[in-house]
Amino acid sequence: MELHILEHSLKVASIAKEGIQICTHGLIKLAFLPSKTRCKFFSLTETPEDYTIIVDEEGFKELPESEHLSVAEATWLALNVVSGGGSSSSSQPIGVTKIAKSVIAPLADHNISVFMLSTYQTDFILVRERDLPMVMHTLSSEFTLLRVVNGETVAANSLGVSNGFVKPKMVQRPIIHPLSSPSNMFCVTSLNPDTLPTVATLLMDVMFYSSGVKEPGTATEDSGHIRFFSFSLIEGYISLVMDEQTTRRFPNNVLFTSASGELWKMVRIGGQPLGFDECGIVAQISEPLATADIPAYYISTFKFDHALVPEENIQSVIGALRTNESTGK
Amino acid sequence: CSLGYGGSKPDILWSPHHVDRYVICDSELSLYRIESLGSTEAKAGVIQLSEETAATLLAINSDTPYMKCVAWYPKHEPECLLAVGQANGRVVLTSLGQSHNSKCKELMGKEFVPKHARQCNTLSWNPADSNWLAAGLDKHRADFSVLIWDISSKYAPEATVPPEKIRLPSGDADVGTVVTKPLYELGQNDACLSLCWLPRDQKLLLAGMHRNLAIFDLRNTSQKMFVNTKAIQGVTVDPFFHDRVASFFEGQVAIWDLRKFEKPVLTLSEQPKPLTKVAWCPTRAGLLATLTRDSNVVRLYDMQHAPTPIGDETEPTIIERSVQPCESFISSFAWHPSAQNRMVVVSPNRAMTDFTVFERISLAWSSTSSLMWACGRHLYDCAEERTGSEAAVESDIATKMRARAQSRYGHDTVQVWRNYVLAGGDDPQLKSLWYTLHYILPFQCPYLTLDQEQKQQGNKQTVVYSGIKNIVKSSSGTTESRRSWSDSDRQGDVVRYHSEERSLALRLCGWIGRGPDVDVEPFLRSLEQEGEWERAAAVALFNLDIRRAIQILNKGASSEKGDLNLNVVAMALSGHTDEKSSLWREMCSSLRLQLRSPYLRASFAFLTSEPGAYDGVLYESRVAVRDRVAFACMFLSDTQLSRYIDKLTNEMKEAGNLEGILLTGLTKDGVDLMESYVDRTGDVQTASFCMLKGSPGEVVKDPRVQCWIENYRNLLDAWRFWHKRAEFDIHRSKLDPSSKPLAQVFVSCNFCGKSISYSCSAMPHQGRSFSQYGVSGSPTKSKVTSCPGCRKPLPRCALCLMNMGTPVSSCPGTGKSDEKVDLSKDKKLAQFNNWFTWCHNCRHGGHAGHMLSWFRDHTECPVSACTCKCMQLDTTGNLVPSDTT
Repeated sequence: MELHILEHSLKVASIAKEGIQICTHGLIKLAFLPSKTRCKFFSLTETPEDYTIIVDEEGFKELPESEHLSVAEATWLALNVVSGGGSSSSSQPIGVTKIAKSVIAPLADHNISVFMLSTYQTDFILVRERDLPMVMHTLSSEFTLLRVVNGETVAANSLGVSNGFVKPKMVQRPIIHPLSSPSNMFCVTSLNPDTLPTVATLLMDVMFYSSGVKEPGTATEDSGHIRFFSFSLIEGYISLVMDEQTTRRFPNNVLFTSASGELWKMVRIGGQPLGFDECGIVAQISEPLATADIPAYYISTFKFDHALVPEENIQSVIGALRTNESTGK
Repeated sequence: CSLGYGGSKPDILWSPHHVDRYVICDSELSLYRIESLGSTEAKAGVIQLSEETAATLLAINSDTPYMKCVAWYPKHEPECLLAVGQANGRVVLTSLGQSHNSKCKELMGKEFVPKHARQCNTLSWNPADSNWLAAGLDKHRADFSVLIWDISSKYAPEATVPPEKIRLPSGDADVGTVVTKPLYELGQNDACLSLCWLPRDQKLLLAGMHRNLAIFDLRNTSQKMFVNTKAIQGVTVDPFFHDRVASFFEGQVAIWDLRKFEKPVLTLSEQPKPLTKVAWCPTRAGLLATLTRDSNVVRLYDMQHAPTPIGDETEPTIIERSVQPCESFISSFAWHPSAQNRMVVVSPNRAMTDFTVFERISLAWSSTSSLMWACGRHLYDCAEERTGSEAAVESDIATKMRARAQSRYGHDTVQVWRNYVLAGGDDPQLKSLWYTLHYILPFQCPYLTLDQEQKQQGNKQTVVYSGIKNIVKSSSGTTESRRSWSDSDRQGDVVRYHSEERSLALRLCGWIGRGPDVDVEPFLRSLEQEGEWERAAAVALFNLDIRRAIQILNKGASSEKGDLNLNVVAMALSGHTDEKSSLWREMCSSLRLQLRSPYLRASFAFLTSEPGAYDGVLYESRVAVRDRVAFACMFLSDTQLSRYIDKLTNEMKEAGNLEGILLTGLTKDGVDLMESYVDRTGDVQTASFCMLKGSPGEVVKDPRVQCWIENYRNLLDAWRFWHKRAEFDIHRSKLDPSSKPLAQVFVSCNFCGKSISYSCSAMPHQGRSFSQYGVSGSPTKSKVTSCPGCRKPLPRCALCLMNMGTPVSSCPGTGKSDEKVDLSKDKKLAQFNNWFTWCHNCRHGGHAGHMLSWFRDHTECPVSACTCKCMQLDTTGNLVPSDTT
């Protein structure tokens, strides 16, 4: 297995809902006019609380300074697991489940905080730049570490430092944050960048005007529905996460659909904003899923974490997670 | 093809088998037929592609939207089956202008659907198993990016998937044509940008993945060979060299050798704009065409002469050039599959141009007079025409030299003048040269000791040898005599000069013979014999014998093919008078210029000129130099003579006129003259033979002379005139002993290491002593088959198994009398057949004759179990001399 350390230096920011209008110019540029910026990594996720932006340093220049924009202090690096070789059993679980035991758990054991972003194409594990030596030390036994430099992958020098690192604590990881599961179902999809202009206005509507327009029949969050939409444009690839109702607003044949047309349900983690320092949250969720061999997407936002699991598995997921829930809750 | 058609920039595909069909793909597929213009001129709807060709639109297919890439079925039938990769990752089979044949109908509209939709970037049919179609797709987190579909597979719902999970879009009612299960899935969680099957094996697939080039082996899908690189677009295998692959990234093409896959063996110069297509020419080895965005040129890289594999040290030789098929930008191009170097380019507005890349022409002269040039696959041989026009066009000097070498030109050392005849007998300059050499050589050739006269003239030797110019310079004691015409009793007013040197000069000019006799009569007779009537008359006249001159002219007029006008001239001569103001003089001096013969002009000039002012004779350039010089020696005073000779010498040197050798002799001056002659004619043969006769110290050592000699030897070698070259070398070594080469090869004894020829000969090992260690023709006791030094046996011949050996008889001093007669008959003690010969590689050998006959029928060494291909290692072993005598 190869672990690629990508060359993007990323910022994680939150835009308050009421401040979104001052940022729309920059966000539209980043999302729909990639040739006008030098940004290579852009992700926008709307939750009921805020908009979470993950963007590289070039793209960050497009955002204005504002009291509505809060930025996590660290610079983040994205890691990407590539299953080298053609080791190919098609029944392999996808997403974070696949890397739960090999990446997420060891990082949690070493007290390294991670920030997850799953897309249609792959999973990005974001770690703080300052944690990189520790990350490489932790993962070097399991992975071939490669660094991307100017678009080309080169072997990453293992720093060879092992002294001074804390010994991992191999402990049980009970789930300590409250979980909730909204009632709406989600699609993880993509579209051809060439067709992006044809749906740009629709996407803008979905991104920025969701709160204003209430479609008839759209239930409020009180009835268990959650407002959740994610758009990312990373190295030319577009990824979209939206609920089933939203997909119906797109013309036929624009969104990529899987042959089996699978749908996903969400598990939302956290009652209070989780912050960036706590470790092991992703591990708490992904390990039980990996044990049960249930595929999952995982999207971290500024305040909370979100896991997506196949709709037909939601009951067994809830069950599995409940047994792991800390008794002290 | 790996272009997307979203921007509707047309791409072009040529039918792999039906060479007159191609498809333009942008938002739809259009099938064209290409024809020569003559047959289609009249029809409507014909698009002209070039001066000779035009295309007709046969069919349009717009059934498949969102086309990203198209690949043409590689087999002959069905004829126009295309696989189309779509923006959602589906691959659809479609066709164009097809008669509804059953096999095709079954495949038509068949779709191959990946589990997760994403763009299909590239398609590639397996050239060996045409049912296999590889598709390269964009990245998906859990899906594979390289899918190999079997187009013959029937749709079968996967038993493992519960039916309720299959939520195909309702549009796919005809599920019978949809295939969702690929034969192979490769490259999980990666993206595939380009693909091609490797011709080495049906199951090897080369793919340009997200950040690396990977070779997938379908026999073992868990393993791949890969190299990290950015150059992952447009992978394509060289059709002529299956280990060579091109790929590109932005403006740079990388060339890979699959046997040395760690890094590109070379990268081509980077273009400022991103590349859009890279394609090997299918009809010409090592020619790669590249196209960049917004460009109106196709850039070609000729790697034909780049060594493969390219070493790390060697600078690869790649010839880069650009061709511009049309004025507008080029959207795409396609090589014609079989027509040499031909391509059709298509511009963004779908204008098409048929274009043939002209091959560079390489040209080679043969060592004989033919010329050969190659252009593409054509080879043109151009030989000199030897019929009809021969008289009109003078043949090339190389042809002349070759013919002269064959007639042994230069080798007649006894009758030196005959070399002029050997040279063809038609070149007046050569005639003059060889006569000059004939006259002067008896004075200087040391080995012609039989010439007694040479001994008498010994004191003059060095002077003679250096030409008339030096002879007259050294002249002293000149006497004058007033001479009158032989038929007149009056004391004439013609002043003639005499001296020993002047007589010698006249002799060298050929006017008078050797010895004290100064009679010009023998010379006149020889001229009469050759029919040179005018010249003979002029010479007689210059010797003041007007009656003899008239007699000669009369004889000339009455001879066979004689010119009756000569009688008229004789009549005019007979009227000669000394009267200064006579009508005769007046008429002669004005009308003589209208005479055709230079000698007759000179004659009348002599008769009418004032004493001592003979410019009319001396500067009559068509009178032979020797005659003018002889005339000058008779009638010019010392100062006049030396000034005239100097002037004439310089003229000759400048013109490179070989007649001037008479003046310069074989001196440095002569070499200067010969230099201008060689510059003018290139005749190194004459220069070599002539200058070899000069003094070894001064002339032969001159670097120019050595250069001519070496060039002449090289010419003989190039013509494979090896015997002639050997003859020349022998001839040369007689005249210039220092040119004898040292012995380069010795045969040494295996045991004591001494040369086996030591004991045979006390003479130093120089020269052609090779014959010293041959054996005589018969196995008599005269043969020594052991080393003369240590008495151990010499090696055996691998064929006759006899010990090789040296003839005792070859040792100087041993009695030859009891030897067989045949030995003395031909003086060759060692026939070439008995020479030692051996292979430098396997060290086996034997008698040269045996070896030669063995290798006429065999390629391997005669020693059993030795597989050395000895004769093939000898690059000249299979050449035969072209001057076999």
